[in-house]
Amino acid sequence: MSGRRTGAGLFALTATAWLFCGSAMAQQAAKPAASQPTATAANTTESATGGGKLDDSELRTQGEKRFHANCGRCHQAPQKFPPRMMATIVRHMRVRAMLTDEDMRAILAYMTQ
Amino acid sequence: MLSESLNTARLGRLRLGAALLFLLLAPQARAQSDAPEPAAADLKPVPVFSVQSGFVTFFEGGTPHLGPLVTPLLLVPVGDKWLIETRGTLESDLAPEPGSPGFKGSLESSVDYLQLDYIANKYVTVSVGRYLTPFGIYNERLYPIFVRDLQTDPLILGIEAGDYGAGTGGMVRGGFDVARGVELNYAAYFSTNSTVEHMESDRAAGFRAGVFLPGPRLEVGGSFQHVLQDERKNSFGFHFAWQPAPLPLDIRAEYARSYDGSGYWIESAYKLSQVPVWRNTMRHFQVVARMQQFYVNPEVVEEEGDSGGFTTNTNMFEFGLNYYFRDDLRFVSSYGRQFAPQGGNENVWTVGMTYRVALPIGHGDIR
Repeated sequence: MSGRRTGAGLFALTATAWLFCGSAMAQQAAKPAASQPTATAANTTESATGGGKLDDSELRTQGEKRFHANCGRCHQAPQKFPPRMMATIVRHMRVRAMLTDEDMRAILAYMTQ
Repeated sequence: MLSESLNTARLGRLRLGAALLFLLLAPQARAQSDAPEPAAADLKPVPVFSVQSGFVTFFEGGTPHLGPLVTPLLLVPVGDKWLIETRGTLESDLAPEPGSPGFKGSLESSVDYLQLDYIANKYVTVSVGRYLTPFGIYNERLYPIFVRDLQTDPLILGIEAGDYGAGTGGMVRGGFDVARGVELNYAAYFSTNSTVEHMESDRAAGFRAGVFLPGPRLEVGGSFQHVLQDERKNSFGFHFAWQPAPLPLDIRAEYARSYDGSGYWIESAYKLSQVPVWRNTMRHFQVVARMQQFYVNPEVVEEEGDSGGFTTNTNMFEFGLNYYFRDDLRFVSSYGRQFAPQGGNENVWTVGMTYRVALPIGHGDIR
């Protein structure tokens, strides 16, 4: 009887922990990175206009503009996918919608943050 | 009694096993979620599988047609510069048959494209395989069921896309900045004759070029195609797209001309997000209007019975109302009136739903 209770307790604990972990991971994946102290904050990238360097926030601003100008011609408001999925989708759209190299990088930065 | 105790023991072992599995995997899961995010440029893309589906009912001249449609899409990135992409279509047109109950129709399938892309540099992408014919903007960009604002095809689609909507061969394409605020995009292709079932194509060559101004969100361009089958015919066309930045408005237009005929369509779609009343509800609605005309070539009608699918000049006006539950789930509806001399006048209604889902394929951290 005691073994059954211990087993049931462990099972409940496992299920709760999994639910917690799953929910935390999903929130983490969908959370805007602007609110996260991540390694990307200090990164700089080649300017999307080909000039100097842009930091991440400038690149994201460029990306938002470029998203609305390019992707907005066919798609509705941005839908966020996990970053590595987004990298594939943006590559696909580079070919299909003939995005420029700069558009692709800026849009990817915007859509993954 | 013995059996009950054995079951209890098995259940206990199962629960203990689940707990141990959790203890082994949970720290890894937490560690993954605590890891710093890679910069966008360092992201390793994963294969993606997407399905676009819809069920649209058309009423043409009072006759209902049920149109279920599923288009699976698979994207497989390879390294930094390669991409394999393929999309198929499974659809049916179910209509009532006189003298028999219910709706009858057959399942049709096709491979829309199956191509290998190589991003050679910032100016050139090379594609080989089966690709959507890049003539105008409708066939390649606006055709997917979840992208198009009206579910009926433009009358000139037959001129743009030919019989199959796709070519088999090679293509170079790209888009790049030519000056500050000016982008040039182009595609040049050749296609061989293919009689492979579900992957048919004509022998043809052509190109499309466009100029896009990201500031005013304006694009204009032109296309040319030379078909090298029994009939050596040329087609050409122009396209225009404008999204005035202060308004949630899309204006698109195309003109196409070939030996089979000529025509144009102009469409505007306005999202009601700026209507000052019931904003939470109104922002989900979109109203659409499209006007189009098709002019047949009388010589072709006389010789072949129809010209671009029509036997007479045809005009059409359509009005649509769409409701976006989310950007991937949409209710669509429209009313259109087709005017064609010699008794071809009819009403065309559509009502349906469209849906799209995208999933990563494979294991590992997709972030």
